[in-house]
Amino acid sequence: MATQPGAAAGVSDEAPISLYAQRPPRLRGTAGTVASTVSTIVLVGAIVVLFLLPSSAGFRHEFFSPHYLWESFRLHPSDYLYSVSKAFLYTVLLSVICEPIVLVLALAVATLRMTTGPVLKPFRGLCIAYTDFARGVPLILIMLWVGFGIPELNAGWISSQSVFVYGGMVLVFTYTAYVSEVVRAGIYSVPRSQASAARSLGLSSRDTLARVVVPQAVRNVLPALLNDFVSLQKDTAIVSVLGAVELTHAAQADASYWFNSAPYAIAAGFYLLLTVPLTRYTDRLLAKDRDRRLAGSA
Amino acid sequence: MLRPKIALAAAVSAAALVLATGASSGAVSHHRRASTYPTLASCKTTVQSQVKSKGSLTVATDDPVYTPWFVNNDPSNGKGYESAVAYGIASKLGFAKKDVKWVTEPFDSSYEPGPKAFDFDINEISYTAERAQAVTFSISYYGVTQSIVALKGSKIVTKHTPAELKTYLYGDQIGTTGLTYIESQIKPTKTPRIYNSLDLAVQALQSKQIDAIVVDTPDGQYMASSEVKNGVQVGQFPSTGEYYGLLFQKGDPLAACVDSAIQSMTTSGELTSISKKYLGIYNSIPTIKP
Repeated sequence: MATQPGAAAGVSDEAPISLYAQRPPRLRGTAGTVASTVSTIVLVGAIVVLFLLPSSAGFRHEFFSPHYLWESFRLHPSDYLYSVSKAFLYTVLLSVICEPIVLVLALAVATLRMTTGPVLKPFRGLCIAYTDFARGVPLILIMLWVGFGIPELNAGWISSQSVFVYGGMVLVFTYTAYVSEVVRAGIYSVPRSQASAARSLGLSSRDTLARVVVPQAVRNVLPALLNDFVSLQKDTAIVSVLGAVELTHAAQADASYWFNSAPYAIAAGFYLLLTVPLTRYTDRLLAKDRDRRLAGSA
Repeated sequence: MLRPKIALAAAVSAAALVLATGASSGAVSHHRRASTYPTLASCKTTVQSQVKSKGSLTVATDDPVYTPWFVNNDPSNGKGYESAVAYGIASKLGFAKKDVKWVTEPFDSSYEPGPKAFDFDINEISYTAERAQAVTFSISYYGVTQSIVALKGSKIVTKHTPAELKTYLYGDQIGTTGLTYIESQIKPTKTPRIYNSLDLAVQALQSKQIDAIVVDTPDGQYMASSEVKNGVQVGQFPSTGEYYGLLFQKGDPLAACVDSAIQSMTTSGELTSISKKYLGIYNSIPTIKP
């Protein structure tokens, strides 16, 4: 897969492909292994030494005290405090419910915005106003408006939903705007000729969109989409302003009771557990996509 | 089989120790030495060599100070709960009213370690184990209780048996003793909401997102009467041991005689009558069980 510089030069000296080609490393074989081992030891060693210095004892206790790490992690912490593990479920559930809803709504907003019919003109305007607003106003403000505003309306059923519902609504509201823009960019990235060809084969405009344009569009922007989902998973923390005991807030409650910040490390670990697999997956898709394109252009 | 016997002996002696300390320490003197107090008669002479400035008792508090703890921002008028307690202690230890000198000590710096310019500080300071590492506390002169604040006409106002209390949705500020009280004593079935400020909790209560807030009684009285529209203080809970203590420089020997004075004021009923006079409004709030 890695193109040899010689082979690339054989095609053309200024081939765009040279952007991705790598210069052969100066140290190769055993010398290379030794060099990378030494640099790893120096870097990791410096961090470990800094961490283990006697003067860092206060720091270690404040942020990584084993006692409090365990207390906040276990399902039933002493002193009736909050289990960060339990709060993790809240965060996972919120993300997992919001993400498919965001995807469907974003697709709807993006396609609505790209219609051309005169009847839909006011809806297009509405879509533009919505994306401008939802992307332009900080999530936390919308969260406070919805979370405290809707219950204040005294509108019966609508005003008596749980924080989970209001928080989810706000996340969906904001992230649909982001994702719809990503989807729109994806649709624009599909050459017009694709749609023309589909129409000339006799596909309806709906089928053209659903079977030809959107699949290609989504594939083109999949890494960007997943990026937004990683971001959404972390932004579930903002539901805490409404009083929800999600991951960040559970850690915060424990930390402020114990005067010790170790629970934050547990919370961070859980976020990584949630986001790293998704980012790794995104990286893999990106690499696959790059290879595919390179293969095409070579 | 020696081991079980040793274990049994250890358990028995431990139980005996617990019983003994439990019996000798009164309801007010949790967390602290359960020793006998020096007699007030002997104290009158010993304190003279223990006070910072000879012949007078130097008492610290914050500036400004508020009702009901002090009246008219003047600690030296003897009015208000804490002022009255301070003068009561002074008189037990043989100081005349004019021998009590007041100095200012901001709350935030009061429980920092180091030498103090006062004999004791009286400023609604709750005893905590962390603070007791840096300073010495007297026994309790005021037991802090937690109370429920809700909206008038809501279910919790009339229905608050221990079983019913578990069914409500509570809200509280992060890191407060009120939140700890909810989790440790009420143990509700729904996870309480945690807010980053008490104001947000009040806003949530106002818009009926939560059924009640648990705060300490004096704060709750203020919230229910002036902060929350249609607010009502449903009741207060029995003390869990949180209390205000006088604060001394770490290891100050004067603490023993002051404890003795407080103990004497407690048994004679003097503390209760001061409490009735200045904190009557809190005493009239019904006590309910968690």
